[in-house]
Amino acid sequence: MPETVIKAEGLTKIYKSAENDLTVLDNVSFEAIQGTSLAIIGPSGSGKTTLLGLCAGLDIPTAGIISLMGFKLNVMDEDDRAYIRNQYVGFVFQNFQLLPTLTALENVMVPLELRGERNVAPKAKDLLVRVGLGARFSHYPSQLSGGEQQRVAMARAFITSPRILFADEPTGNLDGESAAQITNLLFGMNREEKTTLILVTHNLELAKKTERILQMKDGKLVNEQIHSPA
Amino acid sequence: MIEYVIKLKREVRSIFKDRWVWMMAWRDGRHNFSRLFLFVASLITGIAAVVAIGSLNYAMQGELDKNAKELLGADLVINSNKPFDKGFIRKLDTAKRELAKDAEMASMVMFLNTKQSRLIKLTALEGEFPFYGKIVTQPANAYELMKKGNYALLDESLARQYEVSSDDTIKLGTRNFIVAGVVEKFPGGGALTATLAPAVYISMSALDSTGLVQFGSRISYSLFVKTTSEKQTENAINLIKPLVEDLGYSYDTVEGRKRDLGEGFQSVYRFFSLLAFVALILGCIGVASSVHIYAREKRDEVAVLRCVGSSGWQAFNIYFIQIFILGVVGSIIGAALGVGIQQLIPFVFGDYLPVEIQLGVSWRAFGEGIFIGALVSVLFSILPLVAVRFVPPLAVLRADFTSPKIVSKTKWMAITLIVLFPILAASYQTRSFISGGLFSLGLALALGSLALVAIGLLFLVRRFFPQNSSFIFRHALSNLFRPNNQTQVLLVTIGLGAFIISTLNIIQSSLLNQVEFRGNKNQSNTILFDIQSNQKDDVVSLIKKHNLPVNQVVPIVTCRLSGINGFTVEQLLESDSVKIRPWALTREYRVTYRDSLHISEELLEGEMHSYKKGSTDSVGVTISEGMQETLKVKVGDTLVFDIQGVPIKTFLSGIRKVEWPKDPPNFIFVFPKGVLENAPQIWVAATRIDNPPGAIQFQQELVFKFPNVSLIDLQLILSTVDELFTKVGLVVRFLALFSIVTGLVVLAGAVMNSKFARIKENVLLRTLGARTNQIMKITLIEYGYVGIFSAITGLVLSLGGGWLLTKFFFEVQFSINLIELSIISVGVVLLTVLIGWWNSREVISTPPLQVLRKEG
Repeated sequence: MPETVIKAEGLTKIYKSAENDLTVLDNVSFEAIQGTSLAIIGPSGSGKTTLLGLCAGLDIPTAGIISLMGFKLNVMDEDDRAYIRNQYVGFVFQNFQLLPTLTALENVMVPLELRGERNVAPKAKDLLVRVGLGARFSHYPSQLSGGEQQRVAMARAFITSPRILFADEPTGNLDGESAAQITNLLFGMNREEKTTLILVTHNLELAKKTERILQMKDGKLVNEQIHSPA
Repeated sequence: MIEYVIKLKREVRSIFKDRWVWMMAWRDGRHNFSRLFLFVASLITGIAAVVAIGSLNYAMQGELDKNAKELLGADLVINSNKPFDKGFIRKLDTAKRELAKDAEMASMVMFLNTKQSRLIKLTALEGEFPFYGKIVTQPANAYELMKKGNYALLDESLARQYEVSSDDTIKLGTRNFIVAGVVEKFPGGGALTATLAPAVYISMSALDSTGLVQFGSRISYSLFVKTTSEKQTENAINLIKPLVEDLGYSYDTVEGRKRDLGEGFQSVYRFFSLLAFVALILGCIGVASSVHIYAREKRDEVAVLRCVGSSGWQAFNIYFIQIFILGVVGSIIGAALGVGIQQLIPFVFGDYLPVEIQLGVSWRAFGEGIFIGALVSVLFSILPLVAVRFVPPLAVLRADFTSPKIVSKTKWMAITLIVLFPILAASYQTRSFISGGLFSLGLALALGSLALVAIGLLFLVRRFFPQNSSFIFRHALSNLFRPNNQTQVLLVTIGLGAFIISTLNIIQSSLLNQVEFRGNKNQSNTILFDIQSNQKDDVVSLIKKHNLPVNQVVPIVTCRLSGINGFTVEQLLESDSVKIRPWALTREYRVTYRDSLHISEELLEGEMHSYKKGSTDSVGVTISEGMQETLKVKVGDTLVFDIQGVPIKTFLSGIRKVEWPKDPPNFIFVFPKGVLENAPQIWVAATRIDNPPGAIQFQQELVFKFPNVSLIDLQLILSTVDELFTKVGLVVRFLALFSIVTGLVVLAGAVMNSKFARIKENVLLRTLGARTNQIMKITLIEYGYVGIFSAITGLVLSLGGGWLLTKFFFEVQFSINLIELSIISVGVVLLTVLIGWWNSREVISTPPLQVLRKEG
């Protein structure tokens, strides 16, 4: 039986302010199965990123339950959620989010080192070679192009062999050619590693490469399409 | 679908076991070390100041312990203001103790080569003094030569001042002496003593032949005793004790001298160490402020780390380790610098120290410096770093996301420790919780006031922003409000240094203004004393002959108090209920008699002294207000004086306010006319000499005709006091400079913090057509503003503080020297501009394309 890696039940997120309360996510429920791919699409302000943040345990919902690999993230403290992320989750962000003071190799090594593992450099190097950056181990993020930085970010995301990969507009800051390379890499590695991919994007073409598309509007899940990836 | 119920077992590693945080601290820090080092560099100056002062203290205490006996030159010294009783000396002699003697008095010396003369301390020596240590002379045999009788030794400073060399002749009283050489080192003496009262040494056998020992001469006699053991010293003390009161003797032991010197030095040490401590606290503020900005900048990176699984504490520990290690490194550098400065102190101020300080390292002070440095770098960085723990990982997705305020125990603990630290550290420095608490309160008030002035100034700048001024001036001014500019912190730290220096200057000006003679034409500046009754008229004639004014000719009678309100002095000394300071009861008083108030006096209470002829109990005397409080007497109280063996009963008729520096001599007790005329007395005359050649001529004739009469040149004393104040002021200024340097390091840190923002802004300005010259001007003017506002901040507070200190502590008229205060302010501004410009060179010179590429 396929394993549910993410289960969201009635997720609601309200930001309270002095003037009024802003509901950015309203009673959203869905599940993601191990090894599948899923895209969350919708216009700006529709709640896509908020939903991704809640699913990844970067934030907690105002109401509802979010389970990741069976762990109820909404009842955990921040450090426990960080631990869960380290064990099961990988991230790829639109603006790469590499640590500027670390080399490409060191950036990739960080998640494994956080686990307390030693001699992780060979594995990190392998991954960098796989993403085509075999000659860029000692380069700092500022010395790499946008496409190269995103490839380092992907190597970092895959080094822990995550069960789930969250990608937030992974090609949003890249030119056409780099975007295509990253897309191929992302889906290729996802297939090889049997990772569950959860992708947030405005790019419908990119979304169509996933097996399911969840469409958001005004904080609500308004549509779900299941199809064969393009 | 499977419902998991899993209990998370997350391993929490301590900072010492978490290899990753140490690795990350290194990886992250290697790019920031120069910048981070600048943060902790603000600690270096504070630590250097604390270690320099502490190291000097330990070295001094060590030398005092090692050379205690040399400070006294004997095991025991007995002092008296009259020749020692022969029976007493016999008693000491029977114990086969070695004895030596000296007699000290004020006298005039005339240097026959230049015919100049001045007041000196004449010291006549007898016996093999000193028993410990030695009198160092130049030439080496000069002391032996002096003992022969025809020779005299001079303090080195005196010989230098009057250009006297060996074989020159000087005149003391009626006798000429050949100069045998100069004294470079005298047991227990130092340049401070030599500056205030330079000495001439002769043999005791030659003293009588000078004719200086006359009635009324104030001579202090000392008997130096060498014993063979501490037991024998104790026996000698036991022998003296019963005689102390009967014969009016006092004594000084090695331990006592060591204690007195130690206590004296400790007071000075505490004052200076608190000043050094101020620099340290400023450094702490600098560290906290810089780390705050650093932590804020690291927010995005921390968010990424949190995303990939770092715990809040792990993220905190990365930066904490960096700051701590650099804090320790900074402290080691500061401590080494402090030890280096301490090695220089004996060269600069060695003459003013009671013992010779050997070059060496005080490891205790060094260790304390490192400990304090490490402690404050931890304490003052925890608070700003705590924020790192609570950086939300969601910030990677939403840069503007802020988590709700979290009440952290660590934060509150840090705040508590930060508040406690200055109190505990100042209490440790002063060895008193009350003093430490008061100092911390004062420091908090000073910093608070500086902060208020700084905030006020910046508010006024914003409120009345010069919209119509040129672009360069406007832009430079608005740069003060740039995020991360730390303008307020800069104004407080640099302002505090300016405040200390300006306040010192105001106090110096006020004190010197108080005794300045130039302003008052009628005020005496020369006092002639020890005039015998039969010389009085001739001395007055001599003054008049030289066309000098005779401002005062007053009689002086020496006496002691023997009773107050029916109690004898002995009873009062032993009394537990009446607590009058013993010295006030046992001291010798020099009183005068007249029926009117002097120009320096004002009657505060009661009536002017009066006397009904023939009446034995109606002698009304007046007292000065300060001594009235010390003796705890009021108008109507009875006082019995012992006028050289004759008891005279008086009552207190009035209390006078006396402006002591105004037209001296002034007196504590003034008797009415008709009581003391027949008592043994000497006379004092006061005049004013304005032209130096006239003064030399007058002095020459005075010394030749009346060798026993001494002359005090108040101008000379004033210049000596000024010189002393300048020397002490130098130390205070030096330590205040540490505060300014700290401020400038904070400034350099602030420039570094905002460097990239500045570079980007300059690139934008260049793109819009600004020339390098204009950018340079904007930068210089911006730091000019920082300097000006810092100087104003310090100056405003120093005017307030100086006024309070002069009015309530020194009780003198508030006076400022505008030129000197302006020089201080300009100095602060120039230094600030220089440091600001030096650290901004890269900002000014970076080509636009380089930045645009970086940005891309």
